[in-house]
Amino acid sequence: MSNSRFNLTLGLLLAGVLVAVGQPSPLAEQQEAKLIAILKSDAPRKAKADACRELSPIATAASVPVLADLLSNPELNHMARYALETIPGPAVDDALRATLGKLNGRPLVGVIGSLGVRRDAQAVPPLSGLLRNTDPDVAQAAARALGSIGNSAAAKALSEALADVSAANQVAFCEGLFRCAESLAAKGEHQAAMTSYDRLRGLSAAPQQVRAGALRGAVLTRGNDGIPLLGEAIRSDDYVLVAAAALTAMEMPGASVTKALVDELGRLSADKQILLIQTLGKRGDAGALPALMAHARDGVKAVRLAAIRALPEIGGAPAVPALTDLLFNADPQIAETAKSSLAGFPGAEADSAILQLLTRGTSAQRVVAMELVSRRRMSEAIPQLRQAASDSDVNIRTAALKRLGELAGAAEMPALLDLLAKSTNPQDLAAIEEALGAVCARAADSDASATPLLARLATAKPPQKAVLLRVLVIAGGGQALDAVRSAVKDSNPEIRSAAIDALNSWTTADAAPDLVALAKSPGSSAEKQLGLRGYLRWAADNEIPPRRRLEMCREVAGLVERPEEKRMFLAALGGINQAGSLSLILPFLDDKDIRAEACVAAVNVAEKMAQGRNAAKLAPELVAGLEKVAQVTTNAELAKRARAVVAANQ
Amino acid sequence: MRKQSSPLRVRTSLSNTSLSRRQFLQRASLAGAALAAPCLIPGSALGLNGAVPPSERIVFGGIGIGGRGTGVLRWMLPERDVHFVAVCDAKQAAREAVKRVADNHYGNQDCKTYPDIREFLALRTDIDAVLIATGDRWHATASVLAMRAGKDVYSEKPSSMTIAEGRAVVATARRYGRIYQTGTQRLSEENFVFCIEMARMGRLGKVHTTYAHIAPWDAAEMRHDWLPAEPEPPKAEVDWDQWLGPCPWRPYNSTYARGGWRGHYDFHTSCIGEWGAHTFAQAQAGIDCLNTSAVEYRYVNNPTGDEMVTVFPNGVKMILSRGDKWWRGSCGMRFDGPEGWVAAADGYSKPDVSSPALLADFRKIVADYMARTQRPMSHVRDFFDCVKSRRQPVANPEVMHRSMSTVHAANICMWLKRDVKFDPVKEEFLNDAEANRLRSRAMREPWII
Repeated sequence: MSNSRFNLTLGLLLAGVLVAVGQPSPLAEQQEAKLIAILKSDAPRKAKADACRELSPIATAASVPVLADLLSNPELNHMARYALETIPGPAVDDALRATLGKLNGRPLVGVIGSLGVRRDAQAVPPLSGLLRNTDPDVAQAAARALGSIGNSAAAKALSEALADVSAANQVAFCEGLFRCAESLAAKGEHQAAMTSYDRLRGLSAAPQQVRAGALRGAVLTRGNDGIPLLGEAIRSDDYVLVAAAALTAMEMPGASVTKALVDELGRLSADKQILLIQTLGKRGDAGALPALMAHARDGVKAVRLAAIRALPEIGGAPAVPALTDLLFNADPQIAETAKSSLAGFPGAEADSAILQLLTRGTSAQRVVAMELVSRRRMSEAIPQLRQAASDSDVNIRTAALKRLGELAGAAEMPALLDLLAKSTNPQDLAAIEEALGAVCARAADSDASATPLLARLATAKPPQKAVLLRVLVIAGGGQALDAVRSAVKDSNPEIRSAAIDALNSWTTADAAPDLVALAKSPGSSAEKQLGLRGYLRWAADNEIPPRRRLEMCREVAGLVERPEEKRMFLAALGGINQAGSLSLILPFLDDKDIRAEACVAAVNVAEKMAQGRNAAKLAPELVAGLEKVAQVTTNAELAKRARAVVAANQ
Repeated sequence: MRKQSSPLRVRTSLSNTSLSRRQFLQRASLAGAALAAPCLIPGSALGLNGAVPPSERIVFGGIGIGGRGTGVLRWMLPERDVHFVAVCDAKQAAREAVKRVADNHYGNQDCKTYPDIREFLALRTDIDAVLIATGDRWHATASVLAMRAGKDVYSEKPSSMTIAEGRAVVATARRYGRIYQTGTQRLSEENFVFCIEMARMGRLGKVHTTYAHIAPWDAAEMRHDWLPAEPEPPKAEVDWDQWLGPCPWRPYNSTYARGGWRGHYDFHTSCIGEWGAHTFAQAQAGIDCLNTSAVEYRYVNNPTGDEMVTVFPNGVKMILSRGDKWWRGSCGMRFDGPEGWVAAADGYSKPDVSSPALLADFRKIVADYMARTQRPMSHVRDFFDCVKSRRQPVANPEVMHRSMSTVHAANICMWLKRDVKFDPVKEEFLNDAEANRLRSRAMREPWII
């Protein structure tokens, strides 16, 4: 890397505080002088290019002569402009203009571009002349530069030149006139800007983007007086203008524009209606609501869907009943879209309508209302949901419990637990379990959420107790785990089974000692299997330190009998890159049912051990084990990997 | 340590505690592999399209599609209302590779290739929209040229090299009524949208600080050296002049065109731009500053800009952060308020929050956002929907320009090695002539826009 890497920052630092307030400091002057000297010297191209770049943020008029001399240098003309473009003051403009008649081709294009960047009004006459240059690159650059200068003289030159512009130059000339129009409008010269946009609109054979841009400019510069132009474009058969009108309308706030768009809506084809409806939604003016609601109710389906989707973008009470009616439309797509729109509809009116539906609707309506209550997170509807959870209709009860689970907090736990105590229907029990679990899952404090569950545990009947044990898994915490441990010893098989399930599903490794105890217990074979498999899952958990996991594997090595358990055992060992894991894996190479998995685990472990700090010490063990893998595996790729480990460690 | 557990009950039985041979082998083969597939919802699943007749298809092309661009293109190709027909690239190998991808997708040989961008834009008037993924140096120039030629544009980020380039993109999109989306796709991903909405809606109280991830590679200090000159390949193979585009000339070296342009001042927007192009937009969205840029930039004396404090007009601080202090993945962001914090980065199943209760409304907040804005949780789909509806996408030109202006100003602060103040209305630095002179760079002819 060249030493110039930090030259820019060095130079800028040297420039110091004085430059920051507009005055070159002595240090900056020294730096500039040094860079000028490089440019005047026989330094190579790279050094001179670097000097130009470093001059760019600090150079003064003192640098202009040497940089101007480089404008005709084919290797450095761009870098000369790189420095010149940012230097304040007329000396640069004078120097650039002075070269216009001396250059051609790309260097000339560059200088023209820089005059445009600098907005040199004195360059308008020569640049106007260059619009007729035979080199299209030059003529186009002149047009863009004139546009950047953007005064009325530049606009006039471009407007006139458009009369007989070649096809190749047309877009660039239009670009120039667009820039002029924007500049004139920004200066408050609206009439001149309008004239330029109208000139562009008048180019009937212009490309679509020019027609679109000209319409936009003509409408926006006219303000409300441009609304008729907007309507004319919307009604036209030219979809370019229709789309441009839609985009332009999004930039124009105000009731007059809304009214004009709404007035057009009924007369348009479906394609245009969809575009306009989306535009009205985006504009967010409530004045469009009546029309959008009408289109949401009737008409072509695609138009209705667009209107239904646009309603929540605007909001407003009148739209709520329209959407509520559509919730139960015979067309499922209409109904589903209305539901989504109502779910995201802003304001309290939508909440009220949904609550009314929940309390007074039919069974089907109440189920939909409950879904919306949840999607809108209407916690004020919890009392109604609680009431619905005791409804005589099982579908209502199930839906209410599901939504209660999604909405409720700790305050609702007692009510849910009361329901649990009273329920016997398996569907109800499952729904209550799900609701309790959802509430516990959102709670920040495990012990706090477990407390009300534990309080009911002693008095609960077996089916309810089983539910509570499973919910305790989600609540978590030390007290919950203690309760599960006690229940594992329960004499009731239903409770014991639920407790073992809970232990096996426990979300922290705190349950691992209980699982291994279960695996070693004199209990039933199925319970021992569950304990062993639960323990092996923890042995495979890579959040537990590898050394500890290896100890866990050793502890149960003698209990692993069935193929499924052997696979779990090997899966755990395969992720433990410790001396000793390989020796536990290798015996399984002789087990034809599990040999393939043993080979994979052995190679995975050995490859990582071979890269570890103790690789040299472990080499004999690795070589012996992997030689055997290479012999017994039927997987050619694995054999290749095994041989590679052997070769690297012999 | 606590494992993720479904709120629904977890039943254990012998049948689901065992590990099948297939599962075992699959797990073994995947060990160590980075699985971070993007989760994009196809447009058809959103119920917006159905079968799209050919007359309504968006005719689509590509400019400068390399590795990243091909990834984006693969997200786009399945969109049923999009038909990719041509690619333009200064590198023959790249354009042929993209042709193979497109032709394989459509089962034909129809994708056309063009070596010259000006020829491509002039000839293919049938193309409605383009994907631009050239590398930082060309993104804005190609976007301006394409929009001026009447194309809508999806441009990869960082989408400008200077503040002036960004402004040119905004002006051109407005001028010609073009639809433009920059590739800050996290603005269309649930976790990030959730965090942004939580911050915007005041669910964290008034947000006082946001953190934005900058890339953990490269630096804010840039290289100015030239790699050793190598023989320039034939123009048909690599058009070096065009590859350089508006940047200063330097001799050919194959490393640049293979991605080795990063870190060079002429081609790259530094480690700040690399990810700041994403994360500044994300952060600015959450503090309602997408129509402005940071006004203060406090220099930090390190090579990367890590821990730089920037301040927005509403007083909210945005702190640049290079490491994993505030998140656990790439392109992270975080919002802090008096009532809590939320954070997200790539690879999260759900955002990180200061309290689980903050996640209770995750679904609702995302659904409300989608209903209110009519935007899908798919950045490319948002773009194509907008091409049809003519409204600007979520990462529209102004969003790109304002967030990239924050990137550029932060870079300038680092290069000048001093605090700077920026006026986002005038788009100029306060009392700092040098900083102002770094807002633009003279473009090399003929690539002057």
